[in-house]
Amino acid sequence: MKIEEAASYTEKCFHGSPASCTCACPFHLDIRSLLEKVSKGKWASAYKLLRNETIFPVIVSALCDQPCSNHCQRTQIGDQAISIRDLEDACIRYVKKRKADAYNIPPKTAKVAVVGAGLAGLSCALNLARKKFQVTVFDKELGWGGSIRVHLRFKEFNEEISLMFSVAKADFQFKSEITSLAQLEEFDAIYIATGSGGDSFGLLESWDHELQTTSEKKVFLGGSLCGVSQMEGIAQGAQVSKVIEAYIQTGKASYINKENNFKECGRKLDHDGALSLARVEAKSTDGYSEAEAREEASRCLQCDCDKCLTSCEMLKRFGKAPQKMAIEVYTDTHVNPPLSTHTLARETYSCNLCGHCKSICPEAVDIGAMLQFSRTARFKDNSYPAALHDFWLREMDYAVSQGAFVSAPKGKKTCQYAFFPGCQLGASNPEHVLESYDFLNEHYDAGIFISCCGAPAFWAGDEERLGVHIEKLRQEWFEMGRPKLVFACATCENIFSMMLPEIKSISLYELLDRQSHVLSKCDLTEAVVFDPCAARDDDEMQSSVRRLADKADISLEELQEKNRCCGYGGLIRLANPSLYDEISQVRAEASEKPYIVYCANCREVFAARDKECAHVLDIVFGLSINASIPSLAKKRENSLELKKKLMREKWEMDFEAETHEWDKLSLIIGDELQKMMDQKLISSADLQEAIWLAEESGDKFYDESDGMSLCSMIKPVITYWVEYRKTGPDTYEVYSAYYHRMHFVKGE
Amino acid sequence: MVMAEEKLWKCGKCKEDLVKKRTAFSYLGHTFSTEVMCCPKCGKVFIPKELAEGKMAAVEQELEDK
Ligand code: SF4
Ligand code: SF4
Ligand SMILES: [Zn+2]
Repeated sequence: MKIEEAASYTEKCFHGSPASCTCACPFHLDIRSLLEKVSKGKWASAYKLLRNETIFPVIVSALCDQPCSNHCQRTQIGDQAISIRDLEDACIRYVKKRKADAYNIPPKTAKVAVVGAGLAGLSCALNLARKKFQVTVFDKELGWGGSIRVHLRFKEFNEEISLMFSVAKADFQFKSEITSLAQLEEFDAIYIATGSGGDSFGLLESWDHELQTTSEKKVFLGGSLCGVSQMEGIAQGAQVSKVIEAYIQTGKASYINKENNFKECGRKLDHDGALSLARVEAKSTDGYSEAEAREEASRCLQCDCDKCLTSCEMLKRFGKAPQKMAIEVYTDTHVNPPLSTHTLARETYSCNLCGHCKSICPEAVDIGAMLQFSRTARFKDNSYPAALHDFWLREMDYAVSQGAFVSAPKGKKTCQYAFFPGCQLGASNPEHVLESYDFLNEHYDAGIFISCCGAPAFWAGDEERLGVHIEKLRQEWFEMGRPKLVFACATCENIFSMMLPEIKSISLYELLDRQSHVLSKCDLTEAVVFDPCAARDDDEMQSSVRRLADKADISLEELQEKNRCCGYGGLIRLANPSLYDEISQVRAEASEKPYIVYCANCREVFAARDKECAHVLDIVFGLSINASIPSLAKKRENSLELKKKLMREKWEMDFEAETHEWDKLSLIIGDELQKMMDQKLISSADLQEAIWLAEESGDKFYDESDGMSLCSMIKPVITYWVEYRKTGPDTYEVYSAYYHRMHFVKGE
Repeated sequence: MVMAEEKLWKCGKCKEDLVKKRTAFSYLGHTFSTEVMCCPKCGKVFIPKELAEGKMAAVEQELEDK
């Protein structure tokens, strides 16, 4: 991976970049931070910031024509812009002591001549003098100031200039007009700032706008001589001092151009929920009182984008800036585990990959896609924590082997439609698939395509496994005569449209709606539709479900935020159990009304939290709502029974599921333990196997005093333990079940 | 539930009482060792629930984050 690859995901994120007012300010003054200080009455640090960035704060606050105010985002919500200049003025008046600042460094021998003691020349001279260069300023007038010498407030300006130069010594040569550069031969560098219409010694033509260089290597040019405003002149003077410094030190004029940071004015924030606040008017003609200034400054919206960072529970929890995460996506695949530390692992596997961040980002930055990229990179890199996804990959293997059934309708080789219910729908409630297929079979030339879409492999970042599986699906679809697929699950639909775009599809709900299909009125009278995150871009699916609910006379309300992930997405449950809990709780509480869902996983997540919740198919087919969720082992059984039933009833075929010797064991598992096992994704089928193996081989621990046994079963990724006691022939009561992910090293 | 520590677990195959022994573990490419109960004869390692869900889980988490 190249760093650019990771960085490209967040390239457009402008979190932390300068506010729009700052971009418009000739000094790129950090106005956000200035106003924050003022709002807290921190006059000393506000003044310091103002002085460091504007060079001559008194002059600037008096003369600046405030280009920033046109860019103040208060105006976006209909308010007046913040009076920044009045607040600058307040900083100057309320700071206890105005101070100049110089570096405590030894004097330098290099000599610089500044021609013109106007604002640009003074700014350049001051900055070089502070760095202890030998600076001589020439001006044909009697004193400094240039164009501001005639200003009404020149007395104040004069004081400020004196103050600044009190700690940064420069030699001022007034009444000395430079008529030829030959007079300045002894200087190492020359800055010409002779003011509007002043002498450029024939160098204006060759002036370089960026670096302020000229065709004469050691001669620089700037200020209103070059047509810039007074404020720009001050800013330019400060900037050219750095170029001159580089030139003296390296022989080459250069400047670290931060201009790019200020290009984008970031006006894309929508300031949801910001209160409108009127501009504070000063009661006195002298300007704001301290309290007024603080109040006006606190009108600042502190514009910065943090939409995703405050909206996504995962991003909120980790609190990392998107661009920082991008760098970590890169560094995480460039470290050697024993020496360096990955920094992003938990985030990578805690993302629901739900697309919400992209949908709310003003620049459509897709952090989910970036973390999916990170998962894939880690898988390739072998830094993939297999235990976090093993359970679902095993379920996928099962769904595409034992659980799978693909066929055109009985007696046919091909069909126009095929129902792809997804592996979870039937496992969770076989009736959903049976009823739906009955319906499809009745109205359409529809075959069945029971398999897994491959989402678990995708979410694990296992591209190879996904690729092989997708190829198999493509083949099966092809053999069925390339039918249009009917999806009940938006995730399946997404995976197909991403991996197999040649396959046409339609949602089950749209077909149901087309046939005006609601058989029975249901108990629900009001509800909200909880759209799965995967259906975000499928308007048709969303509206079909609403129309179906409508036909059942359910009055619907809308959630404030649609298509948020229920918590299931990206399979974060083992990677971050507490985050999973938080998300599912927040979603369950998003409305007090019962939910209508159309994703089997959403239903399970909510049912597990006792949230009243119906699958839209319950409503359509008059099935009981709030059905309990089957245990993990029961889900596998459900899939097999469903397959058996379908094959028998619709195809008159028999199906014998693969059996194991341990199937005959019956386990007694208390409710508490079962609940815990479901949470930790421990299937009783694995416990059956472990107990059977232990009892067959005697390879276990036992306690004679109470007849308890404890055995373990080491699977490639996870080691399961089960504590049990025999209570009858082939019957065992289970007391505890747990696992660990590390392995013993054999032979120690 | 009975605390695993108080119980008199024996190895099912060797009928031996368990003893403490330093054992090596590995996870995600890292190896480390710690004392756990084992069968003195065949060396079968015994991991009680408290250990699996306590210290071991914490180390696993840490290594996953590395
Ligand atoms: S929404 Fe997030 S990613 Fe997008 S610009 Fe804002 S902070 Fe950056
Ligand atoms: S994809 Fe979803 S979970 Fe992941 S960062 Fe974006 S909003 Fe958060
Ligand atoms: Zn033994």
